[in-house]
Amino acid sequence: MPPQRRMHILPVDAYVSQDWFDLEQERIFSRVWRYAGFAEDVSEPGQYVSVQAGLNNIFVVMGRDRRLRAFHNICRHRGTQLLRAVGKTQKAITCPYHDWTYDLEGRLISVPEEDSEFKGLDKSCLGLKPASIDLWRGMIFVHPEAEAGSIMDWFGEVEPHLGPHKVEELVEYPDSATAHEIKANWKIVVENYIDHYHLAHLHAGTLSMYDHARAEFGFVGPHFAFWEPLAPHYLENVEEKAPQPLILPMDQLGASVPMLFPGLGLGENESSWSTFHIVPLAPDLTRVEIRNRVKNAPARDFERQQSRSHRFWSKHITGKYGAGDAGSDADPMASGDFLAEDIYVCEQQQKSLQSPYFEIGASAERGESPVRQHQQIVLDYVEGRR
Amino acid sequence: MHGDFHGLRVKERREEIKGAVTVVFEVPAHLAEVFAWRPGQHLTLRFTLKGEEVRRSYSISTSPFSGDPLQITVKRVEGGLLSNHINDRVRVGNAIDVMPPFGTFRLDPGERLRRTHYFFGAGSGITPLVSMLQSMLIAEPYSVAHLVYGNRSADTILFKARLEDLRARYPERLTVSHVLSRPSMWSSFSFWRRGLVDKAAVEAAIAENPPYAQDTQYYICGPGKMNQTVRDALMGLDVPASRLHMESYGGAIDVDDTIAGVAAEARIRLDGRTQTVTIPQGQTILQATRAAGLSPPFSCQSGVCGACRAKLVDGSVHMRARLALEDEEIADGAILTCQSIATTSALSVAFE
Repeated sequence: MPPQRRMHILPVDAYVSQDWFDLEQERIFSRVWRYAGFAEDVSEPGQYVSVQAGLNNIFVVMGRDRRLRAFHNICRHRGTQLLRAVGKTQKAITCPYHDWTYDLEGRLISVPEEDSEFKGLDKSCLGLKPASIDLWRGMIFVHPEAEAGSIMDWFGEVEPHLGPHKVEELVEYPDSATAHEIKANWKIVVENYIDHYHLAHLHAGTLSMYDHARAEFGFVGPHFAFWEPLAPHYLENVEEKAPQPLILPMDQLGASVPMLFPGLGLGENESSWSTFHIVPLAPDLTRVEIRNRVKNAPARDFERQQSRSHRFWSKHITGKYGAGDAGSDADPMASGDFLAEDIYVCEQQQKSLQSPYFEIGASAERGESPVRQHQQIVLDYVEGRR
Repeated sequence: MHGDFHGLRVKERREEIKGAVTVVFEVPAHLAEVFAWRPGQHLTLRFTLKGEEVRRSYSISTSPFSGDPLQITVKRVEGGLLSNHINDRVRVGNAIDVMPPFGTFRLDPGERLRRTHYFFGAGSGITPLVSMLQSMLIAEPYSVAHLVYGNRSADTILFKARLEDLRARYPERLTVSHVLSRPSMWSSFSFWRRGLVDKAAVEAAIAENPPYAQDTQYYICGPGKMNQTVRDALMGLDVPASRLHMESYGGAIDVDDTIAGVAAEARIRLDGRTQTVTIPQGQTILQATRAAGLSPPFSCQSGVCGACRAKLVDGSVHMRARLALEDEEIADGAILTCQSIATTSALSVAFE
């Protein structure tokens, strides 16, 4: 048998096989706190959503005490994943299949034809299975275990290394959420996000407003922290040049771009705060959902900022290749859009994994060290060391 | 050992507001461990007044995490035997018999815990709450607190400056909402709303400060009526009972099952009629009264709600728990029939 081909730490198999995908779903995505949206997605009593967190579908509902509850979205009757909150006051959760109904603490409170059909049924043993839920940095997180402990056991150590943003005071930029299906394994997308080496090259024309040479980064537990200052040409008169109103004080400017395990990237900079949620769909298919928060300010402030910063951006954002070198008008390398650049290289790398001639040539000692470390963390989870 | 009294010297005495005094105790080194307390606990004091032994429990108003000494704050109760005695007579240097800290109405902070604590208090009910509040601000850094505090007017607010100081020191982790029932027209004190800490206030407080950390806990400490109102309001919002913590101020809150009681004959007065009821040993007055076919009022059967309250006209009883009663009410003969077992063979009880 030929020696197993490796990416650095992980076998290439980890990026292409269904077995690895299934193992990761079970041993990573079903065992940790998972991002489930922005706090405002479920912010009024009676509102509910269900979110997929690895193998678990979690039902999230807000009670009239404005506290969120999380349950496994599985009716205790025949397991139907159909729960919904009902009634004028949303005091009950029901499964429409046979109308089994639960209260907001998950207790089974009514079973139709209970007396004739379910003699001696002990309803107290058939409550919804609780999950854990909390809000952190303006986001909802769920954990499949009922007693998951404090979310700060998970995020407490990395928190001081994140941006100084008061996320709760920022508001979602209207109609700015986007979703992208990327034909690459989720780890390729993560590795691209945490690769410092590529910033000055792939994104030479799109991310030059940050000073990559002065970036500080590293892992804190399973989470990756990254910070870099503004480049001097952008910092000078940044109040004029920022594309949106500033959200950080002048003495705290910079971009924090952490990757919270597993697969929640944040983009926390001087004028916006965004989530980059990486959702594995198949071994070679990943969805990325992006949402943005900005300063809570009137629309005219944004229009004004956009018009006064326009000159700077029209001069400083360029495609990697000019029209002469670009393959066509649609060439992502000419787009001047760093996301399009990233997606393109992720998909191109995934394509090569199929080739028997594929091998990693070398790995940058510092700039690509996060890539190797992330692979080690994934391996530790899959092999049960974490 | 709990249950033993120790003579503690009064180190300092100061008037907090008109009619409420703080008594600071000196705890000698060899008793430091015995008198270590947890936020929310109380001390039982023993006095002998006119030849009679009198015991009362008072909540500790300092935090064990702040470095402050052991102290209680006692507000005068009209006609109250001990509250007035302490306000009038206790001086620096006095030795007072004090039982070590006790009580299950507690907030034990956790360094990694991330909770939203709601405190609802009125009057001197603030004493355990301020200890809890300050403790979690110091020792539970990921958690936030919202205090709703009811008083008659600005000059009757206990620990007003201390609460202001905490709010200034932890502006992102603490809100304080003052509710005044009779604010003075000449006071410039800015308060949150006028009225009582009632259903509307509870609902407004939660709507204005919805929980951020989703592990929510609710602490209620005020006069019995406020406690019941706040509890009902919270439960009306589907707050599960497991998250509610309540204490009637000054009252003991432990369940005391140590006394077996005796069998008794009781004259029960209910709805204008009097009937004799036989109480077997170990049964509560409420159980025996209902067993005899009478329909006395009752609700929670755990000493919390006060619905089964009656007046003990003659005889003596042991109450296993008495959350719904204040000390002074008990001194006036009030009992919770759901918690009372006879300790004399003849009783006379009137439901009011």
